[in-house]
Amino acid sequence: MGIKINALKCTNCMACEMVCSYHRDDGFAFLSACIVAYRAREKKDYFGVLLKEEDVLIVARPEGLEINKIGEEADPDKEADASAKPMLLREGCDFCEDMDDYGPMCVAFCPVDAITLD
Amino acid sequence: MEYLSTDKILVIDLNAAQVEEEELLESLVEEKIGGIGIAKYLYEKYENDDPIVIGTGLLTGTTYPASAAGGITAKSPVTGSVCHCPVIYKLGVEIKYSGFDYIVVKGRSDSPVYLWIHDGVADISDASDVWGKDVWESTDELRKFVGDDLLQTMLIGPAGENGSDYAQVCYNHWSSPDRFGFGKLFGAKNLKGLAFRGMGLIEVAEPEDYVERSLEILKQVKENSFLEKKGLGQILTALGEEGVSDWIDPVTHRHSADYFTPYASNTALFLDEDPGLLEESKKEEPGVLVSDIYALLGFKNVGLSVKDAGHALKACAKYGIDPFAVAQLSGKTTLEEIKDSFDSINGEITIPGSGLFTPWCPTGPIFNDFNLSGKDEIMAWWERRQAVSMIFGIQPMFSLMCPELTEENMLELASLGTDLELTQEILDAVIDDILG
Ligand code: SF4
Ligand code: SF4
Repeated sequence: MGIKINALKCTNCMACEMVCSYHRDDGFAFLSACIVAYRAREKKDYFGVLLKEEDVLIVARPEGLEINKIGEEADPDKEADASAKPMLLREGCDFCEDMDDYGPMCVAFCPVDAITLD
Repeated sequence: MEYLSTDKILVIDLNAAQVEEEELLESLVEEKIGGIGIAKYLYEKYENDDPIVIGTGLLTGTTYPASAAGGITAKSPVTGSVCHCPVIYKLGVEIKYSGFDYIVVKGRSDSPVYLWIHDGVADISDASDVWGKDVWESTDELRKFVGDDLLQTMLIGPAGENGSDYAQVCYNHWSSPDRFGFGKLFGAKNLKGLAFRGMGLIEVAEPEDYVERSLEILKQVKENSFLEKKGLGQILTALGEEGVSDWIDPVTHRHSADYFTPYASNTALFLDEDPGLLEESKKEEPGVLVSDIYALLGFKNVGLSVKDAGHALKACAKYGIDPFAVAQLSGKTTLEEIKDSFDSINGEITIPGSGLFTPWCPTGPIFNDFNLSGKDEIMAWWERRQAVSMIFGIQPMFSLMCPELTEENMLELASLGTDLELTQEILDAVIDDILG
């Protein structure tokens, strides 16, 4: 099972980030999300989604997917985002295994179906 | 107030340079619910100090679809009475998570200041480094200063500092729904604006039920066929302005949404860059994000090319002036003349209905008809819908599109989220109080 992100479909709404954090915190927050709508390059209208899995950081950019092994140097020309650093300290995606009624929360709540199960 | 709330109201006295906190009492929520229901109460409480009340809705920043909005409540320099301007994009949510449900700014500062609000802490900070700078420079500078690119700002530019009637409070780099000249009010208080960042946690009384019902409502919302569309152009087409979509197409980059809002109503225009570019632009300022359909239409109607219209919108956002007022009142027809006219914009724009809500939002339903007919019925529905959206914190444009977001299910979620019994009778009374 894997999470598939279509960054071109994504509208940068942050729903995935909210519900991912909710599944860990049991309250509303963005703190613990392992999926993040990156949005710091707003003047350039450049946005996509970051997903932390156990040992890789997936950057779903509009131009394509990039998979970085955590611990290895990322391409300096393609610095992910201000959101990437705190992500590294968070727990990786567990596919919401504790959310029996929903399955992966980010898939269930993405309003435009930009996230699907592989 | 334990749930769906930070429990805190911030009261900032600019005269005395003092910051105080008040508890948000559960009894106040039981009586006024939230958003502009409580903001109006706070406005009246501090009325003698000409306050600006910034707040969020009771559902803002949760899993209820489109729970993106906050609001600014103050006396408008344009209308002379109390008005409510929605806070959109991701700013409404950031306000709540920065640690305060409501912020009352009263009095006037002796020297330029901005308010830095983060993680439950508020500072009145010297704004001399950003006073005189435009909205974009100021936002960039504050982000650099704080070292956080995700800082969300609510700032004025030169228009507000110079006391222009149509000075607008801008959100991050972008124009806002402010048609009320709130930028002039900020400027008169020597207030450059506010910067927010927050990592808070909002507790929910019945989290599982709240989230489950949210998803059920979201699923109903997603049945709407209009969600296959995106952007400003499609909204204008639905409102009968057929030509705009084709007109902006050649410069349209991407569309983005406000927090958790299923329709992407913000459209980025690339003016100095290939709109088909998928990679990150190497240019610092390739374009402008547009949320104001009538400002865009206004610049089209004065005869500007789409690129010049985009440049005019960008210039307005930097200067911190309402682009709709500029298009409507400048009487100019070229980009250069329009840019030169900012300091002399005056005259009247029409604020519909009882003048409480911004005509940044179309004054009727979008994409769906909500079974309405007749001008009066539509206007009464529109005012009520705006009030409801700004009580609960729902993106006010999306609530004009989506019949599945009902007063009933907003109340249901508010009750689930807070453990209070919030009824239709209470909501009716709050709306009556707001609409007068
Ligand atoms: S599947 Fe669950 S844990 Fe994984 S990214 Fe989605 S919401 Fe987060
Ligand atoms: S929920 Fe979907 S549209 Fe929203 S930010 Fe996540 S991937 Fe993008």
